[in-house]
Amino acid sequence: MSEKNETQVQQSVQGKVPEIKDGAVIVETPSTWRTIKREFLKDKVALVSAIILAVVFVTVIIWAFFIPRSAVTNVNIIDQYLTPGTQGHLLGTDEQGRDQVKMLIASARNSLMIAFMISIIGQFFGVIVGLITGYFRGIVDTIIMRVIDFWIVLPFLMIIIVLVSIVPKYNEWTLIWIIGLFAWQGTTRLIRSKVLSEADRDYVRASKTSGSSNFMIMFREILPNLASLIIVDTTLNFAGNIGIETTLSFLGFGLPNGTPSLGTMVSAATDPTVLATKPYVWVPPVIFIIVICVGISFVGQVFRRAADARQRLG
Amino acid sequence: MKEETLLSINGVSVAFKINGEFYTAIDDVSLELHRDEVLAIVGESGSGKSTLATTVIGLHNMNATKITGEINFQNKEILELSEDEFNDIRGDEMGMIFQDPLAALNPLIRIGDQIKESLDVHSDMTEDQKQARVHELLNQVGIPHPERVAKQFPHQLSGGMRQRIIIAIAIANKPQLIIADEPTTALDVTIQAQILDLLKDIQRENHAGIILITHDLGVVAEVADTVAVMYAGEIVEQAPVATLFNDAKHPYTRSLLRAMPTIDSEDDELYVVEGAVPSIKDMDRNSDLFAPRIPWTKPDVGHPVLKEIAPNHYVRGESWREFKFKDEL
Repeated sequence: MSEKNETQVQQSVQGKVPEIKDGAVIVETPSTWRTIKREFLKDKVALVSAIILAVVFVTVIIWAFFIPRSAVTNVNIIDQYLTPGTQGHLLGTDEQGRDQVKMLIASARNSLMIAFMISIIGQFFGVIVGLITGYFRGIVDTIIMRVIDFWIVLPFLMIIIVLVSIVPKYNEWTLIWIIGLFAWQGTTRLIRSKVLSEADRDYVRASKTSGSSNFMIMFREILPNLASLIIVDTTLNFAGNIGIETTLSFLGFGLPNGTPSLGTMVSAATDPTVLATKPYVWVPPVIFIIVICVGISFVGQVFRRAADARQRLG
Repeated sequence: MKEETLLSINGVSVAFKINGEFYTAIDDVSLELHRDEVLAIVGESGSGKSTLATTVIGLHNMNATKITGEINFQNKEILELSEDEFNDIRGDEMGMIFQDPLAALNPLIRIGDQIKESLDVHSDMTEDQKQARVHELLNQVGIPHPERVAKQFPHQLSGGMRQRIIIAIAIANKPQLIIADEPTTALDVTIQAQILDLLKDIQRENHAGIILITHDLGVVAEVADTVAVMYAGEIVEQAPVATLFNDAKHPYTRSLLRAMPTIDSEDDELYVVEGAVPSIKDMDRNSDLFAPRIPWTKPDVGHPVLKEIAPNHYVRGESWREFKFKDEL
């Protein structure tokens, strides 16, 4: 009776009965991946989102390889605004007579790659600066955080537009770095607040008594403990960065001519005739953007719940 | 017996900055530790014992701490060392054992890698030698199946095993000085005895000096050679362990000893020292700090000083000469 009770208690606490191996009790706690898997199974919307995202990403990346550059640069006014289904154009053609399906795939590849690169740059600087300010505190922290506070209140979209207009020899890498300049401050704040609390933990002090240098403590001890936070933040920032890039391209300050983007495709709708009478030109990229961004945020929510036990569903 | 002095603390005071003002947490503490010696520092929570230990191993945030005095460790003035020079000593010649073994282990790093950390910093062993040393250490601290445990994470071990891991980390480079900050507080009594035995064994092997910080007088009686009793950041009495337990002088020491449960006591109730250690902001360094907790005794005038009343037996102030417990009056 009592033995049974005990087992039940342990089961409810650990989710699994501790097994006894060679006299030592081994308590199995669910690993991060297992937690993520369980959260996905509990949240069907996120599961569907994840599957759709996976299919879309793989399709876009592979298909984009087989689309020749001429398909997105050649202009053929005779085939302008063909309706979907005519002459083998599944989604019709745009103002320049280019196939909409090929345009969509090539644009999606560009937009996703750029958003991805911006996320990497933003996370890289955000995490490093956050670690430094949170770990060393004091005057370094005060100075860097005040600079970041100032940076955050700047109207970043306007500054990006100005920079894009004045930079000579402008290409997609220039755009990535310019947007990247404004992509790390939020991450820095987030990482800093977590590092502030981690740096006071005993394992950091213990590491110090082993003679580890500050650099080792920051990257070997504290960084792994930030992993879940970084994964969540990267995912959600990725969706945000797709939004920023498409916004800029829509406004005409994004990717240069000849590099199609989801934003430039949507900007076809700025022509009132197209907006009113030819929805097949601008609806597909709009749906594509919505599906990708909503899907990523659903998946990001799952990661967030897996990282924070209080929010878990399963 | 020729005793080699390992660590000497001379007139060390530590003050913390709170809201822009410095408050003294440790006031003019002097201690000496020899090889093969266990020096116990006892006192209530807030008496400054952990602060003293963290001062010796340099864990204070120097932006908000003011330390004066001298700490000499193996002919090095450690308060004058730079951060890098200090890192060369920490983990190599000094090791620290923490109170809460789960908090002191990094939850995301395997046990073996955590023990290896101080070997990485201080030794030039090859990867294989380090691996062998990790297994040897795990064996030494009494962990069965070292190869398997080295690959596990802290949460997979029991409390006693975790504390053994902490000890293994502290002794990885055979330090001369081991600072044990309440090493047995988080453990149950049967494990406590094993851990204390382990510490003693390690000491015998390395001829190390141990500073043992505890509030458990039972632990002190079992392992200590010399005892320093701290109250409100000062040493109020210091004596060899036998003297302290048989012939305690200071009212605080006597109160602590009286508050200890004994098996042959006829009373149902334990003795309680009334009141609490004053908060760091309320300590009046110009008075007898323990006096408010024994109001029936005439306090010392001004700030009492530590005097040697018998060889190696130091007591602070004069009030102890007339002190009687309330029920003895």
